[in-house]
Amino acid sequence: MKLDDVRHGFSSLWDSVADGWQRLRDGTVGALTRFRPGEHGAMPAKGEVDDTFYWPAQTWSLLGGDLFEDAHRLVVRIEVPGMDKADFDIEVRDNVLVVQGEKRFEGESTEGRYRLLQCAYGSFRRVVPLPAGVLSDQAKASYRNGVLRVELPKAVESEPRKIAIAVD
Amino acid sequence: MNDTTAVATKTASAAPTPAESALLPPVDVFEDATGITLYADLPGVPKDKLHLEIDADTLTIEGEAQLDLPGDLEASHAEITVPRYRRVFTLSRELDTEKVSAEMHQGVLKLRLPKAAHAQPRKIEVRG
Repeated sequence: MKLDDVRHGFSSLWDSVADGWQRLRDGTVGALTRFRPGEHGAMPAKGEVDDTFYWPAQTWSLLGGDLFEDAHRLVVRIEVPGMDKADFDIEVRDNVLVVQGEKRFEGESTEGRYRLLQCAYGSFRRVVPLPAGVLSDQAKASYRNGVLRVELPKAVESEPRKIAIAVD
Repeated sequence: MNDTTAVATKTASAAPTPAESALLPPVDVFEDATGITLYADLPGVPKDKLHLEIDADTLTIEGEAQLDLPGDLEASHAEITVPRYRRVFTLSRELDTEKVSAEMHQGVLKLRLPKAAHAQPRKIEVRG
């Protein structure tokens, strides 16, 4: 084996480690979202649920979020299953997109017990920093299969920003 | 009727290989006198990408999320790298697996598993 091969192998290993860290960081920052009890629909009391991890005061849920961009627009995708379209409140403020909403808890009509209660209910808020200025009055939002998608046209056309930093 | 959980989470018997790793969706399980209602959060999964299978006493929920994005978009921040969900449950024998009904609404799967007739409470009317 030539030294170059070894070096190449090492650098690609390093890339994948760095990439892994990047992904881990990106994947956790912001994704963890707190759900507080909402105004609509009371959650069952702790004693009514067998799930030992259930805590009615507040729950945390990972809401996956993606931000995509091309020269003309930004597309934000947030996974919030089980919402009613009307219960979203979406705003653009300065350079952030604020998505708030309430996922209503609808209790069962029959008598019984919750054995597991892991899904998050209540009101939540997610703030997504936008990498470019947008025309907020032309923004469009849709909600399909439990995924909210907000499309924001850029104020000034620009290629996705990439900053290369040389390492001495 | 006993008071044990009729749907139990199965311990990972055959661990999936990294290539087919999947997210474990959160679920709510509600049990009443006539059966079990299960809700699973599967955001991004359209109805045709959802696979439900009952084999003997094992229920498998599998789904593939669809990203629905035009190809020219570049991800500048992506948290969803595993667009697959998978969760396996062991069903109690008192459930009638022939009569399962499922519906999907905005990324939430609702499964109703009725208890077999002999496991349901019966009211006997006194005649005469």
